[in-house]
This record gives sequence, structure tokens and C-alpha cells, in this order.
Amino acid sequence: MATRADLIMRIAGGATPALLGFLGVLLLASPIRLFGGALPTPVIPLIIIYFWSLYSPAHLPAASVFFMGILHDLLTGGPIGLWPTVYLVMQQIAISQQAYFLGRELRVVAIWFAVTCLVVSLILWLAMSLLSATLLPPGGLLWQMLVTALCFPIFAMAFGRLHRRVVIEV
Amino acid sequence: MELLGRETRERFGLRSRSQVGILLFSLVSVMLLLSSLYSAEASVFKKAREAAIETASPILEFLSGPIGWIEDRLGAFSDYFRVLEQNKALREENEALRQWEEEARSLRAVIAALEELEAYEAPPQAKPINAFVIGEANDAFVHSMIVNAGAKDGVIRGYAAVDERGMVGRIVDVSPNAARILLLNDVQSRIPVFVEGSYVEGILAGRSTARPSIAITKLANGDLIQPGQRVVTSGAGGILPRGLQVGVIAEVNEKEATVALAADYARSRMVRIINYKFPDVEPTPLGAPVPAAAAAEIASGPATPTSAAQAANLPAAPPAAPAPVEEGD
Repeated sequence: MATRADLIMRIAGGATPALLGFLGVLLLASPIRLFGGALPTPVIPLIIIYFWSLYSPAHLPAASVFFMGILHDLLTGGPIGLWPTVYLVMQQIAISQQAYFLGRELRVVAIWFAVTCLVVSLILWLAMSLLSATLLPPGGLLWQMLVTALCFPIFAMAFGRLHRRVVIEV
Repeated sequence: MELLGRETRERFGLRSRSQVGILLFSLVSVMLLLSSLYSAEASVFKKAREAAIETASPILEFLSGPIGWIEDRLGAFSDYFRVLEQNKALREENEALRQWEEEARSLRAVIAALEELEAYEAPPQAKPINAFVIGEANDAFVHSMIVNAGAKDGVIRGYAAVDERGMVGRIVDVSPNAARILLLNDVQSRIPVFVEGSYVEGILAGRSTARPSIAITKLANGDLIQPGQRVVTSGAGGILPRGLQVGVIAEVNEKEATVALAADYARSRMVRIINYKFPDVEPTPLGAPVPAAAAAEIASGPATPTSAAQAANLPAAPPAAPAPVEEGD
């Protein structure tokens, strides 16, 4: 029996990143209006995807990332396929940078996360501008990405503890 | 603190991992995106969206409780810094409201007098559906809200949603227990509006910024629009009722007039969905068959004696019907 409980715990531990990602998407679809709507909700799934794709890609398969994006599109009512593309590009960039960024200081990783956010914002802006056939104002998106990038260190520290305690050691 | 992932890096060096999964799913996503470019309102996508809001609505409803509580605390905290400013604004508003009260009282007397008249027919009572906002797209380019009322409560696609200040948006997706409102500032939002004071009818289009705008054309007398004029729904097209408060004109340039919305999206927690049905066209003695008969006459060319006689017998026939009679003479 002990082995079975062990197995369940291991599966639960392994599924933690994906579950956190889905929770992040749900938060993006909840009416959170930080400081009366002045502060946009950070895109926490981007942080989750970047973090686990960098440190332990096996715990966050592409399928989970894809379904996170689909859920995001379905809940916000945007064009279907946009956020899965953005999330998968984020994952691809993070995995390709793995060789350089593993074991670096948090601030280095955080700066590169911000740069990666800029890259995916460009994809988002281009796709949405194409879909609506007009050049959309990029200000809101850049502001949201800035808030996300500023949140990265806090979340990365929390996820680091979680990764060591729950995901790996169970 | 030891840096996360150092051993892993040392172990695999520069060897890259196989990324077949990412490639495969990216391909699927891009294909989905392209297909939504060509068929944005595909029924499969629409059904999927409706199923998603239906499934997520209990979770979102559960989450929105604590979120509202935290928001209230944060709101109260930031209010402390604006007490003086708010006090002044409230005093001014109070004064303005007092004047309105006077006007409302006199109008009420007029309405009471009108209602006593035999000929007065009360407009059909709209029964608004109350709903709580349980979800909101926190997205830079998509502006929508999810509310906890759906088809079971009588919500139908196209209904208008208002909060206590003004119009919020229009229902676009309906599931049995939840619905999605497309907000007025979304790029896809188009609402027929009327500008009071300048008597201009126009289409209010979302710009993905806080304020949507009305495109001005020469034909529509757009040059008469002035900042400060009130904007209401015009009811053109029969989808929305006429006269819902939308906002006031904030800024005018030669191309468009920007509208400051009356609704405050950062504060609307409860909305009313306005159950509106376009009233039927005035009943004619023949009822529905009249237009069909008239169309048949036009199609058959010169009026036959029977149809002319029919038209002559009907005093309240639509203007299209007598035309063939004159031709026949």
C-alpha cells in the first residue's frame, strides 16, 4: 500500500507545474482588478512555463502547455490558437536557453525572462493586429508584460522552493 | 542558497533535447490560429467557448468570492488617500442630483397625467436579468466579462448588459448557466449610438483602449459633435433598446469622436442584462400576409383585376399595395 501512496504522491508532485499553470490561467480569467484596475494581472502561466521549461522540462510536457493556452483562449474569448502559440514559443525559447541559464543567478534569468516576454508580446501584437485588421495600441500589452517580468523573481523564488520540496523530493 | 539546476547543466552540457512535442503542438496551434483568422465565428469554436465558460463558471464563481473580499480591503486602503478629493466630488454630485430630483418630480407628475389618459399605452416592461461578474479577460487585446446568468435565466445572444452607471457591453456567448459579455472597448465591438445635442447617429467602435470612438463622416453631420454631449444607444437595427446611457463625448478630431464610457469596468461587479425584444411592426388588418401579397403583385408585373380589387378593399394596406391600381387606370 505504501508504494501505491508513493506513486500517487509522485504523480501529484509531477503534475504540480501543470496544475499551477491551469490555476494561473483561471486567475487570468477572474475579475482581479489590482488597485482599481490600474495594475494589470500578471501573466503567471508565462512565468510557470519559463521556470519549469528551464529547470525541469520533463515536468511540463508540451501537451500541458498547449492545453493551458487553449483554456486561456476559450475563457477569455479570444481567437483560438493564439495563446497556445505564445506559450509554446515561450517554452521553446526557454528550453533552447537551458544550456546557458541553468545554475545562473536569479537576476540574470529574470532579465532574460523580460526579453523573452518582449519577443512573445511581439507575436501577440502582430497576431491580434492581423486578426482585427488594424494596428492595435501596444501600450496595454507592454505594461502587462512589464508587470509580469517584475513579478518573475518573487514567483521564481517560490517555485524554486516548491520544485525542490514537492516536485522532486516526493 | 545553492543555485537551482547547476548539476543538470554540468551533466548535459550543450546537448539539446529533442523537441518533437513542442514542434507538433506549435503546428497545431498555428493551424488553429489560421483557421480562426478565416472563420472567427466557426460554430465548433463557439460551442467550445460556451462549454468552457459553463465548465469553468463554478470554479470562477468560487474564486471570485475571496477576490472580491481582497479587492474591498485594497479599495478601502487606497480610499484613505483620496478622502478629500472624493468628498469634494461627492458634494458636487449631490448638488447636481438635487436639481435632477426636482426635475424628476415634475416629470413624474407629467407621466401620471399621461397615464390617466385613455389613449396612453405603456411601453412593454423590460425585465432585466441580474447577474454577478465572475470572470473577466485580463488580456491586453481581448475585453470581455463572464457573468453567472445564462440560457436558463433567459439570457439570449445580443442582449445588452448595463451596470448602475451605463452600458457595459453585449452578450456574445451563452451557455446554460453562464454568459460572456463583449465589452464596448473590445476591437470587435460595434454598437449603434446616438449623440444627444447634435442629433448624430453613428457606430461606436471599440479601439482596445479605455475609450471607444465614433467614426465621423460628412454625411452623418459629425462636425456637429461637441465634447460633453451625451451618447446613448440609438436602437438602430432593433437589437438593442434605444436610450441606454453609453457615455459622454470626451474628445473630437476630424476623423473620430472619442467617448468616455459611463460604465466603470474596474468597479462593475453586478450587471443587469436587458431582456429586450424589438416590438412588432404595427398590426395591419390583414396581418402577416399583406407584404407577401404586395410582393407577389410587384413580381407579376401589371396588376390583375382580382389583386387590384383586393387592394382597393383594404383601407389600411401598406403604401406599396395601391401603386399597381394607379398603373392599371
